[in-house]
Amino acid sequence: MASAGFDLIQRTAADTAPAAVKILVAGGFGVGKTTLVGAVSEVAPLRTEEYLTVASVGVDDVEGVERKSTTTVAMDFGRIMVNPRLVIYLFGTPGQERFWFMWNDLVQGALGAIVLADTRRLETSFASIDFFESRRIPFVVGVNCFFGHRDRTEQEVREALDLDPEVPLLMGDMRQRAVGRELLVSLAEHLIVTNSMT
Amino acid sequence: MEPDDADAQSVRPYTITQGRTAPARDDLTLITLVTTVEPEPSGRAASRGLQPEHRAILRQCRAPAAVAEIAAGLDLPISVAKILIDDLVALGRATTRPPLAVAAGSTMDMNLLRAVRDGLRRL
Repeated sequence: MASAGFDLIQRTAADTAPAAVKILVAGGFGVGKTTLVGAVSEVAPLRTEEYLTVASVGVDDVEGVERKSTTTVAMDFGRIMVNPRLVIYLFGTPGQERFWFMWNDLVQGALGAIVLADTRRLETSFASIDFFESRRIPFVVGVNCFFGHRDRTEQEVREALDLDPEVPLLMGDMRQRAVGRELLVSLAEHLIVTNSMT
Repeated sequence: MEPDDADAQSVRPYTITQGRTAPARDDLTLITLVTTVEPEPSGRAASRGLQPEHRAILRQCRAPAAVAEIAAGLDLPISVAKILIDDLVALGRATTRPPLAVAAGSTMDMNLLRAVRDGLRRL
């Protein structure tokens, strides 16, 4: 009767799909988004893509003709099963910011975000920080220090990124699961704090 | 055989959806969880018109899977996967669970946030 037992387990799982939430991992190209997703996900990061229709803004608009172009964006994502009733999906945002900023399905309903930054080119994270601030999506900042290499202090990074003092910032090697976990936990704690103030 | 014949990617994605570019309903999100209805309905009628991709979704969703996971599993764009999932829901072959509602700037459920934090700590 082993097969009957298996059937029963399958059916029970199907009847009770867990609740799903998502967290975004943003930052400039090559800053370690997929690395972080892979470090904390319980499955190897999956890749998927989407077609986005982007209205182009230009001088032609005066003619009243809406010009649109379609582009393909790819992203990597992972999953953390918190318990049988709750699953967290982590989405690494596509590299081309001007596209994913308009991707409502990706942005809407996000619990919060992690913005990754690289001290050698902090400016690549400005756009993501501005975006989450304007959309009122809570976020934390993770500064990737490969091989423990730190050439700037936390205070210097905070000033360069013009971060509000309450935004948590962590420095570490994002390839390490413990660092990724710490970032995610600090985001969850940040959400709890921000939420209890409203 | 031409090299293209063996390459599933050479099929234009919207051919699989028979030219449709949007699902009938627009309530599927990246993390909507899809679950196959079991037991599988018997008889030919329940499977009529199903593409191999539909069957692949039914196999994958015996355990709940998110729309994004299904798209990745099929190696198809999200919007194409949504159309196929929507077909299965319309046929009563799959059910969906929308993600927990989280609106930016509004108050979130504290129990949810604590569960998320505690779960992440255990990672």
